[in-house]
Amino acid sequence: MPQWSLECRRLGKRFGERWVFRGLELQIASGTVLVARGANGSGKSTFIKLLAGLLAPTEGEIRLFHAGTVIADRTRALGWCAADGALYRELTGYEHLRWWAQTRGLPDHPDALMAQLDRFELAHRAHEWTRAYSTGMRQRLRMAIAAYGEPPLLLLDEPDAGLDPSGLKLLKQVLDEQVGRGIAIFATNRAECAAWGSLTLELGA
Amino acid sequence: MRAIWLKDLRQEWRLRQGVVASLLMGVATVVGVGFAALGQTLSAGLQAGLFWVALLFGMFPALARGFIVEEETGTADLLRVAARPASVFWGKWLFHATLYGLLTFVLVPLYTLLVVPIQGRLSGWLLLWLGGGFCLTTVLTLCGALVAQTTVRGALLAGVSFPLLLPLLLMLIAGTRQAIEGVFPAEPLQGVFGYALALSTGGAWVFEKVWRE
Repeated sequence: MPQWSLECRRLGKRFGERWVFRGLELQIASGTVLVARGANGSGKSTFIKLLAGLLAPTEGEIRLFHAGTVIADRTRALGWCAADGALYRELTGYEHLRWWAQTRGLPDHPDALMAQLDRFELAHRAHEWTRAYSTGMRQRLRMAIAAYGEPPLLLLDEPDAGLDPSGLKLLKQVLDEQVGRGIAIFATNRAECAAWGSLTLELGA
Repeated sequence: MRAIWLKDLRQEWRLRQGVVASLLMGVATVVGVGFAALGQTLSAGLQAGLFWVALLFGMFPALARGFIVEEETGTADLLRVAARPASVFWGKWLFHATLYGLLTFVLVPLYTLLVVPIQGRLSGWLLLWLGGGFCLTTVLTLCGALVAQTTVRGALLAGVSFPLLLPLLLMLIAGTRQAIEGVFPAEPLQGVFGYALALSTGGAWVFEKVWRE
């Protein structure tokens, strides 16, 4: 298994005068599924956004290592999905995935893209604009995009939101597969999903 | 970069909001100018000024939208994670440059028809069109990205872009006046291309600083 590890040192984020969290220390390695839990406003989404490079830490640092060597730009090594993350309403599911593949330098052969969409049970609607997708379908597409290319660091912010039982089963499969290829971190408040993690981070505690 | 350009083109083709707004604004400006200038002999300076004002007015609605729409619809985070800042900047720039090309393709013949024909040193006109287009596109792309991070986007865009656009417009108008008078606009072109060089290096650097938080 490729040896990836993620390290957060004295990580803190402040919005205005309010610290969302401060002094967060974390070190996890390949095979870990970390569940971030906490009440609303405890900083779960902020934590995921910091890891994804969407927010800059107020203090501290985040480093991703591969075989002991720090990765200069970890954003190129991650897959990200957030329940409130918008999609382009005028693009189809297929176009989204192809666009993601092209911007990330991943294989963009139609067969590979359709296989990924098929896996997330979206192949039959692959060529419809996402504005016509249901909430659950949009969430499946976000997951399909995040997991495409088998990124070593998978960041999922409330990925269970809007998913039906078969969607939740898919999410569990994605997390199980990630154990074999790297690190997964997901934020959730659903007890059923939280049990899927091998490690729990309680925020706002 | 290419993927972002194609995505924007595809979205614009399907919605046609930015291009229609820009064409309407540009056409309205040229028609207004043409009506005001009806039966009058315009000086070279006035011709040059009206030409660039019409192009600038036309470009504003579409070019301002690029990053603002990404922020307003919430897709900016997806874009941030998907691509490197330089790819995002130049991808958007390429899309805006395409709109600039389309806009001039429509407005220049209209200007020729309604206001005054393009005349004088055509090589000067062409170089000013290229250099001016590069600079206008870069300034508006960069300013669009800067103001997209704020809450008073529309109002701020004009204020932020004004100090960057004014010297450029003055150089373009001076150069175009010379081209109309049959003189090759060497000095204004030096200024415009120097400005373009500064923008192409500084613009991408500034963008990278503001794009991620």
